[in-house]
Amino acid sequence: MQDKIGIRDRLLAFFESSVVIIVLLVIWIVVPMFYDNMYVPSLLTVLAELWKTILSGELVLNAFTSLKVCFVGLLAGTIAGIALGLLLGWFKKAEMYLDPFFQVMRNTSTLALLPLFVLLFGVGDLSKILLIMWGTFFPMLINTTQGVKNADPVLIRSARSMAVSNAELFFKVVLPAASPYILSGFRLSAGVSLIVVVGAEMLGAYHGLGRMVFFSSTNYFISKMYAAIIVLAILGVVINALTSRLEDDLTKWQDKSVLSA
Amino acid sequence: MPESKEFQENACRIKAEDVGLVYHSKHRKNDPNAGSFRALQHVNISVGAGEFLSLVGPSGCGKSTFLYILSGLQRLSEGTAWINGTPITGPALDRGIIMQAYALFPWRTVRKNVEFGLEVKRISKKDRRAIAEQFIELVGLSEFADRYPYELSGGMKQRIAIARALAYDPDVLLMDEPFAAVDEQTRGLLHEELLRIWEKTNKTIIFVTHSIDESIFLADRVAVMTPCPGKIKEILQIDLPRPRTPAIKSSSEFGAYRNRVWQLLQNEGERTEEVITLDGRKHLSTVPQEVSI
Repeated sequence: MQDKIGIRDRLLAFFESSVVIIVLLVIWIVVPMFYDNMYVPSLLTVLAELWKTILSGELVLNAFTSLKVCFVGLLAGTIAGIALGLLLGWFKKAEMYLDPFFQVMRNTSTLALLPLFVLLFGVGDLSKILLIMWGTFFPMLINTTQGVKNADPVLIRSARSMAVSNAELFFKVVLPAASPYILSGFRLSAGVSLIVVVGAEMLGAYHGLGRMVFFSSTNYFISKMYAAIIVLAILGVVINALTSRLEDDLTKWQDKSVLSA
Repeated sequence: MPESKEFQENACRIKAEDVGLVYHSKHRKNDPNAGSFRALQHVNISVGAGEFLSLVGPSGCGKSTFLYILSGLQRLSEGTAWINGTPITGPALDRGIIMQAYALFPWRTVRKNVEFGLEVKRISKKDRRAIAEQFIELVGLSEFADRYPYELSGGMKQRIAIARALAYDPDVLLMDEPFAAVDEQTRGLLHEELLRIWEKTNKTIIFVTHSIDESIFLADRVAVMTPCPGKIKEILQIDLPRPRTPAIKSSSEFGAYRNRVWQLLQNEGERTEEVITLDGRKHLSTVPQEVSI
């Protein structure tokens, strides 16, 4: 159906979705022209600074460091969260014993643990990777557990009637049934990973976008601070778009018309 | 009925001997409902190869439970159920179950759903595809092979569920109120289609329903089940000519069968009431007998 939408409709849709952002950006350019505040430089100044940090390689190094830490931590947290989530969802006893412990851990602010992680694992990447793993583990765990518990018993019975082995039941029925939950957990976790990495880098790091924001602000490189924030905003939007896309692609089989109707 | 079918009827596919089922609820202190509940008592029946048997009865008479015992998904507590002379101890691919809720895997396309049992059977990818294609065609849904279940109507879903069960070539199809959730018109079409498929594939079918008309229209024999505890009250031989068309439902013979089943279920309603007020769940079961009108 999408290719039948005309160019006018597309322009209109683009206008509707971007007008608020464009107006705010224009305000960000216009207001500093009349009102001078060292903490609010014009967007144009910020973009010029951004360009400079791109050319100098400073931005790439910091962004690469943050993304690398994010990726490794997210991957580790995702794998651990899915594995334990499957366990807790499938075995009632496992949930009874482990759930209270996880509830306490989950509701402890992740960043509160950073100093402890730094003491144990140093100021380098390892402490941050482990902290991100910690922060992304819980959304994955909870969603996976929920997904397994919500697997339709009719489908399990239907598969059992065809004499499936336990392994087949698990990989061909339980896991796919839980996949929509796992995927939305992954989208949440990816967002969490970016938040945690920035916080962690502010409290102690050699490189990274979080450190760039913090270091710039304490040294009065205000434009550079904004430049780093803009990059973080763009990264956040891109990561969310990618994970949402992944979620949509892998859950094509779900009836979405009920939601949009 | 073709002669070859008559011949095959000598072979006994399914046999139930004094099958009974008692549920024991878990004991909790001061729980008045704790204890046991008898769901089935002295169920005796044998079903021939290629036979179409209907189990009809009101909700709670244990007809679905009996079907699940035959499927191997439900354990029995008394008696023995046999398939091809072997006691049933669990699910196997010699039986295919078709449920009211379709139970298609929503993340699999129609084709992949039909291939499911074949995967379990370790059939090669190439053969799986060919077999799936053949059965999707049999139920007339070839052009929907690559759709997901949510894109299909209820009637189409149930036809795919039938194709999925037929694909792994079971001897017996166990159908649990398969058409209860589709509209009247679709149900009529599905009846004729099921009979056509049955005659083509020669499967033994045990069909559970609460609809009297449906049970008579489809079956060679109708087993009338009554509740509290669930048992077979009578087995009627249905001597209506085949192939059957909807017109047969207005014949006087059909009407006589309908009245007979209705009567059996009616009487039971009154009697059950009496029994419950007198001595709870304990009363003698009637031994099922073959009758023809």
